[in-house]
Amino acid sequence: MDIININSYMIISLLLFLSGLFTTIARRNIIGIILGIELILNSAALNFAAFSKFSASNLEGQLFSIFIIVIAAAEAAIALALLLSIFMRHGDINADKLDRLRG
Amino acid sequence: MNVELKEIVFLCVAIMTILPCFIVAFSRNILHSAFALFFTFLGTSGLYFFLDADFLAVVQVIIYIGGVLVLLLFAILLTRNIEDIKTTNSLSLRRAAFAGTVSILLFVTLLYAYISNKWVFPFRENPDYPYFTIKELGDLLLTKYLLPFEVVSILLLAVLIGSLVIANRSVR
Repeated sequence: MDIININSYMIISLLLFLSGLFTTIARRNIIGIILGIELILNSAALNFAAFSKFSASNLEGQLFSIFIIVIAAAEAAIALALLLSIFMRHGDINADKLDRLRG
Repeated sequence: MNVELKEIVFLCVAIMTILPCFIVAFSRNILHSAFALFFTFLGTSGLYFFLDADFLAVVQVIIYIGGVLVLLLFAILLTRNIEDIKTTNSLSLRRAAFAGTVSILLFVTLLYAYISNKWVFPFRENPDYPYFTIKELGDLLLTKYLLPFEVVSILLLAVLIGSLVIANRSVR
């Protein structure tokens, strides 16, 4: 039995991506949406690393994973600063109620 | 059909990665979602170890668990008290139905494509995959990928200053 292969990694990262997509679309809370985005970025990094191990001939996929992790950290920092700003100004972080820019 | 210990551990790590995702997606309490995300990140780090990506696994633990998750918990605890979170973390039912349909459709489609496809890539382990990846990654990062490395460092500096400015403006 040989289950440590590219197929199981692809299925795992597909499940991570889909639950992240569901969380991003269906949540009302902004923090919940950020959690979903983190899940999606995590699944992308996992997929890069898996292809780097099983299909490529060098480590460049892992390098892309590192860049993805850095960008996810930057995105989380900026998003949470924006969220604190929104909370101080409106007193609410429900994404459905923040529709002042709607025409 | 003999099952090695390594594969049992791999299955446990994969289940530890996938099951908390559903808690993240469906839990009513956002603190539970954040703590479930902790197990997902830890399981992903274990999966990196199974890929022989030791540096990536350590970076995953340090940055995601030590940085991003702690930041998320700070944000949760700063914005709302917990009794309110239980009521405001609801799913929007109309969008939940839409998102569930899209997710199931994508899952079925991609699984069908994956089963019915004949891969053109050579999906096997490389014989010349390095045993320790840190030195090779450092070599790549300082020779071929020097420009993206510098751009990412400028991005991190901009994020540092920008998040300070944004969060500071809100206090005033």
